[in-house]
Amino acid sequence: MSVALALARKSVHHMVNGGRIMRQQSSFKLGFVLCFAVGFEAGLWMLFLDGFRFLDSLGGAGAMIALRLFSLFFFGMGLMLILSSIVTSYATVFRSREIPFLIVRPFEIRHIVLYKFAESTALSSWAFFFIIIPFVGSYAWYRHVSVVFVLWTFFFSLPFLVLCSGLGTLLTILVVRWLPSARVARVGLTVLGVVALAAFWWFSRDIYRPDDELQFNLTRLVPGLAMASNALVPSWWVSEGILSLSRGQWLRGVMLWGTVTSTAVVMVMLLESIGSRVFYEGWQRATGTTGRDTHARILFRRLENALVAWMPSDVRALIFKDIRTFLRDPMQWSQALIFFGLLALYYANLRSFHYHLLPETWRNTVAFLNVFSVAAVMCSLGSRFIYPQLSLEGQGFWIIGLSPTSMTKVLLTKFALPLMAMLIISVLLMLLSSSMLSASPLTKIVAVTLACSISFAVCSLSTGLGAIFLNLEQRNPAAIVSGFGGTLNLVLSLGFMLLVILPFGFAFHLHNAGRISVGQFRHALLIAGIWMTFVTLMTTWIPLWVGARSLRSREF
Amino acid sequence: MIDIQNLCRHFGRVEAVRDLTLHVPKGEIFCFLGPNGAGKTTTMKILTGLLRPSSGTATIAGMDVRKSPIQVKQLIGYIPDMPFMYDRLTATEFLQFTGDLYNLPRDRVISESERMLSLFDLLEYRASLVKDLSHGMRQRLIYCATFLHDPQVLFIDEPLIGLDPYSIRLIKDLLKAKARGGMTIFLTTHILSLAEDVADRIGIILNGKLVALGTLAGLLEKNPGVGRLEDLFLKLTAKYGGTPDVGGPGTC
Repeated sequence: MSVALALARKSVHHMVNGGRIMRQQSSFKLGFVLCFAVGFEAGLWMLFLDGFRFLDSLGGAGAMIALRLFSLFFFGMGLMLILSSIVTSYATVFRSREIPFLIVRPFEIRHIVLYKFAESTALSSWAFFFIIIPFVGSYAWYRHVSVVFVLWTFFFSLPFLVLCSGLGTLLTILVVRWLPSARVARVGLTVLGVVALAAFWWFSRDIYRPDDELQFNLTRLVPGLAMASNALVPSWWVSEGILSLSRGQWLRGVMLWGTVTSTAVVMVMLLESIGSRVFYEGWQRATGTTGRDTHARILFRRLENALVAWMPSDVRALIFKDIRTFLRDPMQWSQALIFFGLLALYYANLRSFHYHLLPETWRNTVAFLNVFSVAAVMCSLGSRFIYPQLSLEGQGFWIIGLSPTSMTKVLLTKFALPLMAMLIISVLLMLLSSSMLSASPLTKIVAVTLACSISFAVCSLSTGLGAIFLNLEQRNPAAIVSGFGGTLNLVLSLGFMLLVILPFGFAFHLHNAGRISVGQFRHALLIAGIWMTFVTLMTTWIPLWVGARSLRSREF
Repeated sequence: MIDIQNLCRHFGRVEAVRDLTLHVPKGEIFCFLGPNGAGKTTTMKILTGLLRPSSGTATIAGMDVRKSPIQVKQLIGYIPDMPFMYDRLTATEFLQFTGDLYNLPRDRVISESERMLSLFDLLEYRASLVKDLSHGMRQRLIYCATFLHDPQVLFIDEPLIGLDPYSIRLIKDLLKAKARGGMTIFLTTHILSLAEDVADRIGIILNGKLVALGTLAGLLEKNPGVGRLEDLFLKLTAKYGGTPDVGGPGTC
């Protein structure tokens, strides 16, 4: 039996048994996750549909954007896939405990690389399909295109997925192989930086020559549109190919599909060839690195000590452990880096718009949309990094459980440390984005207050629910987050966000539309403020209280 | 069967294995002893292809482990101290998967699996998921999986972890029987009584260097005044100053 067949059979057994385990779980949990997924899809569908309708209402520019949106969408999805694949493949290719098991078996390294690539592609692709289905579906619905359009999208998506995921995995393998060497890292990062800048310049040039002034202005206004419309970018082949097939331009469509597919095949061949040469060394480096005390580390330790010297020794110990564990886990900090990298992209795009030219009403609307965006970022930050922190204590939790530290103290420490970080991050983000959007001083004050409120609630929800749905068996943070507790945490965090932002948003909207007087506006703000304080206090207290009770009654 | 020539392995500045030369003939049970961090597991990992040597060579059945890794891996079996297992496979599925990886015919996998599961008293758990098995049962299952392809050379890191007295006796008897049948067994352990019971020869490694090699009787003979393997071990690994000093009453 071939290795591929053996591994495939094993994966099928794994999936079937996983399904069996899932069926044994509470039907409420399953139903909740399922309802959330369906609701999320439906919500996205409606959002995209409304977006297309809105663009249509803009007239000529809207129709143009709607058309270009397709290439921009696939361009964005491609970037997300590459980033997601980098993170996933590090965990599946280098951190998996399965690797030593496979290495001592009689098959070639390239088989391991390809098997792990397939696994990483499967893991990183579900979100891609989760987003692409409502987008393409709503587009087909809106344009009254046949269902076959969705089928074409699927045909194009598969090779595109393989291409992007292959690139992400290849980059990870190369980085893990070469980056630990300081000299190579310096040279490599410099070369990478230069190449990235050159590529950015190249793709941002006006190769794409719009036919009229409207298109020209559009490419200047919408960031990344020129790059996404470049014929050398694979995402363009996908968007153009799908549109060509839906228009009945078969030859062009098939040619573009062939281009994506052959490029994907070349990528897999490259991955197989390079991976089989460098994977082993990279894996050895990833698993066998030993730390040395550098001046920077010693300085960092002194700084740490100075900052927490006033705290009780058990709290200090927990904080030290959490910080070090986080910094020494590449899976955690690399995801944090990517997360903040994406955030930086968002801010770079904010800068491209000329908000000061917009009327006051629009400026405030955009400012509140931005508050939503930053709050959503905080919710996902809480779900991804704060929620799994107790579960990630793993089998070592008994050490804390046996120590003479109360579980309430442990929980409060787990709450306070991320809260500090979250407050700093969220307030800075709100201030920065509000200033970039030329928001009024009052809007800025409200935005910062909301940031503080959401920080408290998100940290408490994530810590409390993390304690209630403690999963000490799982080592993969992504798997912890995607469970019932993680989903519930995300839903409740997003719900809280809506509960506190909407009252302020309505007050501002009615005031800007001239439907309420200044006095009424002040009253509305006061009521919204009291509501926010009440909801924040309750949402901070209840999850921590229930979480502490759950931890105290737990057996280790 | 196993030939190691001037083997070295560094981890940064740390020399885990230093100039190790060793030959283990076919059908021998070789027991590799040493204190924690002495280089036992590193040596075993080099022999199984999990680590590459910094210098020197290691051959199994005349084949270099670096130059012919696939052929070598076809001949060997390895049980690490903390073996990885697929939690979501049943015991039977895990054995089938292992058999498939070694290209064993399906009917042989089925019959051998039954035999092994029966031998290790796991038949009634064959449909249980690995995650639901106890530590000892998982350990027994990994033995079943390792013996499935009938390896010519077996590497075991700490063979008795988590096993009950019945299973310990079973493993000892099985190892002796397999060695009589021609299997070469290379094992590391901290349980000195196991070495006394099963080893044909013993090697003691300290700070990456082989400091003693021979049969138990030969080693004791070379070191007059030492009556047991434990005393010999403590004497040779002088880091511990012969015997551990736990102080007088009330010190611990």
